[in-house]
Amino acid sequence: MLIFAISDKGGTGRSVTSGNIVYRRSLQGNDVCYVDFDFGSPTVGAIFSISEAERGTRRGGTHRYLQGEVAEPHRIDIWAESDREGLRVKPPGAGQLVLYPGDEGGGEFPTLTEELLRQCVRLFSRLDEEFDLVMVDLSAGRSFAAHLALAATARLPGVHSRWLVFHRWTRQHIIAAAGLVNGERGLLDVGAEHGHDPAELADRVRFVRTAVLEQDSAELAGLRPTQLAWLNDCDRELRELSARHKVGRTRMLGKVPLDPVLQWREQLISDEDVLASQIANAGTVAAFDDLAKKVVDDNAWEGL
Amino acid sequence: MVGEVQTGLLQNSGEIPDSLSTELLALVRGERVRVFRRPIAYAVSPDRLTGVDCHLASASGARVRGVGTVLSRASVTGGRLVQGSSQVRVTRGTSNRRLAWSHYMARPGVVEVVGKARAADLAGGFTLDAPPAESLDLGAVSARFVDVVQSSARLDRRAPFRMARTRFRWTAEPGEPDVRLQLRGDNVRTLRLTLPDPFAPGVAELCEDLALHDWLLTALIEIVRRARPGSVARPEAAARLAPAIDHILHLWMPAARVQDSLLHVWESLEHRPGFTRQWQSLVNRVRDHVTVALLTVAGGDGRSGD
Repeated sequence: MLIFAISDKGGTGRSVTSGNIVYRRSLQGNDVCYVDFDFGSPTVGAIFSISEAERGTRRGGTHRYLQGEVAEPHRIDIWAESDREGLRVKPPGAGQLVLYPGDEGGGEFPTLTEELLRQCVRLFSRLDEEFDLVMVDLSAGRSFAAHLALAATARLPGVHSRWLVFHRWTRQHIIAAAGLVNGERGLLDVGAEHGHDPAELADRVRFVRTAVLEQDSAELAGLRPTQLAWLNDCDRELRELSARHKVGRTRMLGKVPLDPVLQWREQLISDEDVLASQIANAGTVAAFDDLAKKVVDDNAWEGL
Repeated sequence: MVGEVQTGLLQNSGEIPDSLSTELLALVRGERVRVFRRPIAYAVSPDRLTGVDCHLASASGARVRGVGTVLSRASVTGGRLVQGSSQVRVTRGTSNRRLAWSHYMARPGVVEVVGKARAADLAGGFTLDAPPAESLDLGAVSARFVDVVQSSARLDRRAPFRMARTRFRWTAEPGEPDVRLQLRGDNVRTLRLTLPDPFAPGVAELCEDLALHDWLLTALIEIVRRARPGSVARPEAAARLAPAIDHILHLWMPAARVQDSLLHVWESLEHRPGFTRQWQSLVNRVRDHVTVALLTVAGGDGRSGD
């Protein structure tokens, strides 16, 4: 199954959240891989603590593979090559966890050529052959990478593909996320251009709210009652807004609470971070675990 | 002789019939796909040529240029496994510069070295862990053939389990018979053969057969590892082992199409590392586990029925 991670704006925590989802999924026993299609700024190596590929690889990553310059994109086995000690021991029952980084220096593509598209179809098809879950991290906004992914998946009708739209729980982000999917030149528009059925494609899109401040969270414990009431009103307004923009609960796959660790250190959160050093919140890990289950659970993706 | 075979699981929910294999492998118009039914269903595409002019990897790192054609074919075994296989015979060129393509086209599957090179140096280079970029990559050629078959719209892409392809690189040099098989990272295997007649037509078939069985063994080990028998509940582990029983156990047919003169290579690998021994032990483990799981279920039902 191919999962595409998109967001309208930068700073939504798209890469770090999708990275944590694949990490949790592999702990749950699936063979998973993470493919960096954020060609402009390939930084996903940092999330998985691969210093060699912190800003992309020099050994032929996704960008050079798509251009036909290397026969196979550089592949990094996280369980073997991560610099974080906690990640270098594969727990019993865990599946493969593989990273396909972008290229250092990266750069975008000028146009969508037939050769490029074929190469992309080949890549998706090969990865789907090997992995239970293939997470493709696309750049923010209406990017070339998203175009390419839509064109390629249109040619792979037999391969399951799903789209995750990451957005923060704010007015601007809700409107932007809705526009990215339903707006002009949005995901559904461009998908239809490449031969996707818009209604069917819409059924394969879900939203993930990031950095959400829950009403009952410990962070809000010190607030005055008037402040809490005001926050409550804001939250209700946002819920109404999101429902109007078709980004409401029914189309939401899950939400990730605000966690200082995610803000300051954009990395995988291990159980150790919660239990031993206690720097991360248990709720954050639970949210990732939940997302990792739902992302492959057909019940969560039933047509609306 | 050098070659590389890529082996993978056909992206289809069930076994495909011979007629579909034939359709998938019709890669050259007007040429027939050969189909064999005994002792196991096997269909193979006509040979195709790819022209190359590139560096050849060498163990010493010397820059060697080769020009010629790569001979490739795709095959489907048991309606379940797909292989892409490419080979070249590297020979000393007659000239120090590139000749007209008609010269190379008349020698299918031959790559001529332009300049000087030693056979052992080239064989060593071909079985390096990471051959230098931009050198002849037979794996990339073989992978394309597998891709062509896998991308057919006639396959439903609902494979019963996910499994990585294996890459089986081989070299055959003249000399006293010797076999060296190594398992490397990223599902790469290298086989260095020395044979009295390394150019015999059956050598590539032998390597394809070995690659196929190496994939089967690798896949079964992986399925058992994922199922974690002994660590998770019996019915759960049994359910995870079931795809092995449904889809791959019956495909083990060592040396099905290997010429008599080359059987000794298989025999030597049976002796060490002992392919069939390991396979049989895994098969027994899978069957025993499933049997015990079934007995447990049946036993439970029996009591509740009484």
